[in-house]
Amino acid sequence: MFLEISKIKKHFGEGESRVEVLKGIDVGIEKGEICVLLGASGSGKSTLLNIIGGIDSADSGYIAINGEKTADMNEKALTMYRRKHLGYIFQMYNLIPNLNIKENVEVGAYLSDNPLNVDEILHTLGLYEHRHKLPNQLSGGQQQRTAIGRAIVKNPDILLCDEPTGALDYNTSKEILKLIEEINKKYGNTVVMVTHNDAIKNMADRVITLRDGMIRKNYLNEKKIPAAELDW
Amino acid sequence: MKNPLIKRLPRELKSEAGKYIVLFLFITIMTGFVSGFLVASGSMSEAYDESFEKYNIEDGNFELVSEADEALIGTLEKEDVTIYENFYIERETDDIDSNLRIFKIREEVNKACVMEGELPDSADEIAVDRMYADNNKISVGDKISVEGTELTVSGLVAFSDYSALFSSQSDMMFDAMKFSVAAVTEEGFAELGENGLHFSYSWKYDNPPADDIQAKELSDDFLEVLSANAALTDYVPQYLNQAINFAGNDIGRDNMIFAVFLYVVMGIIAFIFAITTSNTITKEAAVIGTLRASGYTKGEILRHYLAMPVLVTLISAVVGNILGYTIFEDIGADMYYSSYSLPTYETLWNMDAFIKTTVIPVILMTVINFAILVNKLSLSPLKFIRRDLSKKQKKKAFKLNTKIGIMKRFRLRIIFQNMPNYITIVIGIFMANVILLFGTAFPPLFEKYQDDIVSNMICEYQYILKAPAETETDGAEKFCAGGLVTIEGRLKSEDVSLFGISAGSEYIDIDFGADSVYISDAYSEKFDVSEGDTITLKEEFTGREYSFTVEGTYDYPAGIAVFMSREMFSETFGYDAEYFNGYFSDNEITDIDEKLIAAKITEDDLTKTSRQMLLSMGSMMDLLSVFGVVMFMLIIYLLSKIIIEKNSQSISMTKILGYTNNEISGLYIMSTSIVVIGSSILTMPLVNAVMKLLCEVMLSQFPGWLPYYVPMTVFVKIAAAGIAAYAVIAWMQFRRVKKIPLNIALKNVE
Repeated sequence: MFLEISKIKKHFGEGESRVEVLKGIDVGIEKGEICVLLGASGSGKSTLLNIIGGIDSADSGYIAINGEKTADMNEKALTMYRRKHLGYIFQMYNLIPNLNIKENVEVGAYLSDNPLNVDEILHTLGLYEHRHKLPNQLSGGQQQRTAIGRAIVKNPDILLCDEPTGALDYNTSKEILKLIEEINKKYGNTVVMVTHNDAIKNMADRVITLRDGMIRKNYLNEKKIPAAELDW
Repeated sequence: MKNPLIKRLPRELKSEAGKYIVLFLFITIMTGFVSGFLVASGSMSEAYDESFEKYNIEDGNFELVSEADEALIGTLEKEDVTIYENFYIERETDDIDSNLRIFKIREEVNKACVMEGELPDSADEIAVDRMYADNNKISVGDKISVEGTELTVSGLVAFSDYSALFSSQSDMMFDAMKFSVAAVTEEGFAELGENGLHFSYSWKYDNPPADDIQAKELSDDFLEVLSANAALTDYVPQYLNQAINFAGNDIGRDNMIFAVFLYVVMGIIAFIFAITTSNTITKEAAVIGTLRASGYTKGEILRHYLAMPVLVTLISAVVGNILGYTIFEDIGADMYYSSYSLPTYETLWNMDAFIKTTVIPVILMTVINFAILVNKLSLSPLKFIRRDLSKKQKKKAFKLNTKIGIMKRFRLRIIFQNMPNYITIVIGIFMANVILLFGTAFPPLFEKYQDDIVSNMICEYQYILKAPAETETDGAEKFCAGGLVTIEGRLKSEDVSLFGISAGSEYIDIDFGADSVYISDAYSEKFDVSEGDTITLKEEFTGREYSFTVEGTYDYPAGIAVFMSREMFSETFGYDAEYFNGYFSDNEITDIDEKLIAAKITEDDLTKTSRQMLLSMGSMMDLLSVFGVVMFMLIIYLLSKIIIEKNSQSISMTKILGYTNNEISGLYIMSTSIVVIGSSILTMPLVNAVMKLLCEVMLSQFPGWLPYYVPMTVFVKIAAAGIAAYAVIAWMQFRRVKKIPLNIALKNVE
């Protein structure tokens, strides 16, 4: 198992306001899979993604990538873990506002010993002609594409996507999903995508549905369709 | 109903307690210091002004070759003046290297203010100047030996006609370490003997002049009568008397400097506040947009964001003023008492100080913040809701050469993004460095001046004679000494020493041409005179003018002097060819009757300016240095904190991407480091130029000249102090970067 999620538990708050967000998640994801995490608000999907990403810690259980467990890591090691294995895409893009598009992608490239070619990625993402613009000069879709560029330029093992289409319209969302799919095909990264959107599960290799901090469904999608054919 | 937004203020105060406490302390202490200084100077100035009447200070004094008889006094008093005998003798002290100018206790004119102890009661008692006593650690009850006579110090006093202890009007600076005025009883005065007795008289006009112009007219008229009837050796009307006026002029002079200094620093702090608030507005844009959409007016929002800076300034200024009247007033007064022999004073309410330290800073804070915030808040509610706070069309990114590494480009972008912060930092560093230089430059400047004087001394002993007298002393060389004054123009009129040098002099190596003179380098620099120029000088009392062509300059930093051949001197001033009235000598002359010696000038006399300057400015300089460092740290701390806070989302994101704390600090802190270290070093030439200008303006007010000199080591020290202070701030900011949580980037921006 490439990505092993074992008995993950997590709570927030104390006393009366204590909420068990994750109640022992056990799941494995194979290398190169597109895995969609579905669930309603408060189901724990984003928390799980953050724990996979090493930006939040579990109360118990562990995450392992190729056998490398995050629970044993100190802050510095976690930083190196993110640097080496992960690319992150958020709903709100989180681009660095005072860097232009190309520089935002270069920020990602800097972290890798063997980054992909920045200009090539900009071409792939359709951003080359906008490379000298600041993020606030671009549309939401273009900004999200930049965020994807920043995440993939270091060619990470895992691409973590937290509601990547949450702030986008239908057409732009589909464009972004197609892009993620293309990248997965081209570079073979494992993609873990959190979404509210039930239709997106159709493009996944694996679908995991969470409810109240527990896995309700975990199955391989045998009727996988290309992102271009998604409809909602 | 009160605006509920008011409730945010105490919470804002609490959440940013550290920042507000530091700002409160800084503004309070600065206001307290300036207020204390202004209150002390106002009260002191009042006491000084009152002292003219209270202690019946003379309208002038003159000295005669011999004692005036009754007929002369009668003739003079017909000019509507009253003449007071004011004889004194000058004696050296045995245990302390100093001279005392000893008067009888003066009960009619130039009375003394007793600061401690009492005036002498018996022949073996003496009262000395309070500042001289402080400088030489003399207390009431101590014994001092005056040329073999032991006297008990009965009191420490402030002599009203010597508030600045100038022993001579031609001195650039007084010397309260090696010179003092003293008073003894009439019997005590008689017992000290008549050796070196000066026939000095004071006069008071029956109808005092209204101003200096009238004072000059009256004194010119009186001088005419006086010189027609008696042989004068000295004549000093009150309006020209440095010993009386110097302190009074100085007390007023510093007030404006302090007020301007306060305004500039308050301006910088106001700008820091405005940047901070502007940053908060950006953070709270959506809330502001919602409030505006709900019906809050722009004015209400503006007042809300203005409240905190104005309140903090107002409270700090009021507390500062309270401290100004209590603690800091004593510091201000001590600064004056360490420089001048001023009488006792009473603290007076000072409206001018209140306006300068409270009203104007609050107005300054309000206006600067208003100007910046009103502009920021002028956008539509929708723009705030959308967090689109750019006024113009979307700003374009300027291009940076992609050959520059991404980290360097990132740093450059941070610098350009935070330009207002960095410009304020540069201005703040510049100001702090000027203050630091002011606090550290003077000791080496005075030391260099002192060294230059010593190394360029003509000889070990210069003797000025009352009449020509021969000596057998080895190496003694005759010269002519005289004095003229410059003609008032850009600079005030001042004394010029004239030297007539013997041909083939062993002491002064100048090859004089015919009818031309050399001037001292001090003269050349101060009056901007160079080779080939013609200078015109005049006799102080007759107004007769003399013009000389300058052939060159001579290294003589000790004073404003003109050198010519003895032959030319005698010819110019109508003496016979053999005339002389002084000796240069490296050995002390002991075979000339002391009564014939008008002055003996040694290294001590020539270096008293630098000594006194160091003494007067010492405590002030230390205070300025500390203030400079604190200001440096405060400005950089507050502004770099804003930069980190403003970029916390990006920092959080870079952490998520896998950047280490060191790498992130290498971006965000290194940018500030580049600006701080760069501007610390690059502003030095400007700091030096400003300091030079300040010094020249300041020193041009004094007689004589002190060339500007700051060794490189001082600049290195200042830069090192700045960088060390910054290292502390950088460490604090590194901790701040480290503490920024990863989840900031996860929170959806509202």
